[in-house]
Amino acid sequence: MVAVENTPDEHHVVVCTLCSCYPWPVLGLPPTWYKSAAYRSRVVIDPRGVLADLGVTLPASTRIAVHDSTAEVRYLVVPMRPPGTDDLDEDALAELVTRDSMIGTGLARVPGEAS
Amino acid sequence: MNGAADLGGMMGFGPVVPEPEGELFHAEWERRVLAVTLAAGAMGRWTIDESRHVRESIPPAEYLTSSYYAIWLRGLEDLLVAHGLVSRDELAAGRAAGPGEPAKVLHAGDVAPALAAGTPYTREMATSARFAAGDRVRTRTMHPRGHTRLPRYARGHTGTVVAVRGGYVLPDRNAHGAGEQPEWLYTVRFDARELWGDDADPTSTVDIDAWESYLEP
Repeated sequence: MVAVENTPDEHHVVVCTLCSCYPWPVLGLPPTWYKSAAYRSRVVIDPRGVLADLGVTLPASTRIAVHDSTAEVRYLVVPMRPPGTDDLDEDALAELVTRDSMIGTGLARVPGEAS
Repeated sequence: MNGAADLGGMMGFGPVVPEPEGELFHAEWERRVLAVTLAAGAMGRWTIDESRHVRESIPPAEYLTSSYYAIWLRGLEDLLVAHGLVSRDELAAGRAAGPGEPAKVLHAGDVAPALAAGTPYTREMATSARFAAGDRVRTRTMHPRGHTRLPRYARGHTGTVVAVRGGYVLPDRNAHGAGEQPEWLYTVRFDARELWGDDADPTSTVDIDAWESYLEP
């Protein structure tokens, strides 16, 4: 499994256009939308549009790296650390990490945001 | 093959509709299809590559109008018939015509450990890798009638090797019972404009994992 880290300059998004490859051992079964024709067809050609469907808007200066899982390598996104979390320990930070943030179709929650 | 499963770049499917994180099934039969598919796969009669090939071989009109687990069920039926484990008559009747042959059984308690462990597809390579990170490569233009994991949108395009992943079982052969024939696997990055033209987002890239025989210098 390969972990790819989001930064202010580069945001990673994972897809399997050919079927539904997904990091099962870490994230469990993929969500239905991940396996849908809408997601698989479009995220490679219009990643910002798909992110907008899912409520995520990134700065225009952030590059988007889409990872199409065409082989048996599995990709897991390490979301960017949210602002205002300098004092949080590992367990508290882990609470902010959502499944979608590890697919790259979401961001980590900020402290106090509803889960 | 150029099957309906190769969806990258197609248009007209509408927006991506999110769901709550815990919502993974929409009917009880979907859970059952997942369970039966895993149990049947554990018999070891076919490879993951063959199972992907049967699903991509479903006629496009049927594939594109079937839900995910309906595609899995159709694929499983085709595999069971192709391997002589179930007949079409038995499928139609909904019951076995006679006693089945002994099979390796995946017990409920073994499912989670088996899934967590996964199946290794990495292989030691006797040859050295032809390409290295940083190399410019071109994906071959090809339209094989059999299985391939090189998506149509990524054929005949120039990209950059960003990682050498090691030796991996070659799906193009393994799906057809021709053995594993492992090859070096590379992650290749393409600029969106190389794949999609001038209208594409100039700040986005697409990576694929490509076996060595998919690539040329």
